[in-house]
Amino acid sequence: MRNTFSRNLSRKKVMSTDGMVIGTIRNIMVDFKSGEVTDLVVKPEQNFDTSNYAIEGDKLFVPFEAVKDIRDYIVVDRYLFSRK
Amino acid sequence: MKSAITEMFGMHVYTDKAVYVGDVDDVIINVDGKKIESLAVSNLNRELIELKNFKGIKIPYRIILAVGDVVIIRHLVGSFEKKED
Repeated sequence: MRNTFSRNLSRKKVMSTDGMVIGTIRNIMVDFKSGEVTDLVVKPEQNFDTSNYAIEGDKLFVPFEAVKDIRDYIVVDRYLFSRK
Repeated sequence: MKSAITEMFGMHVYTDKAVYVGDVDDVIINVDGKKIESLAVSNLNRELIELKNFKGIKIPYRIILAVGDVVIIRHLVGSFEKKED
């Protein structure tokens, strides 16, 4: 069971399992009723191609199921949330 | 209903007996369980919790009843001494 303070996560970089830097975390979406963490709100890097991903405005929504681990970086499996 | 976690920061925490507990300082996430584990609450009500060598308490998410403009938790008589962290 790994716990982390959410303020600790602010400004952390989000990296995919294949070594690509996706962007920087901006916020976390939660369901207050169940306490479930649903998505990460990520500001994508300029050179990251966002065309295959769910994007709202300039923010990328990464479902929390795609998160593999959180240490110095937040590692996500980008195949779990791409549309292709 | 999905909400941003930053909305919680600074929210006032009350019990269901309308007793002020403190303000939300941070939210602790269980990464494996994909859930909010607890709330870190500071600026505590001194009449409720005696501060010794700590700044705040952790409130487990299971005793939280509702989150809206404020956070409402279950009023647990005599349990506040045990919750110091």
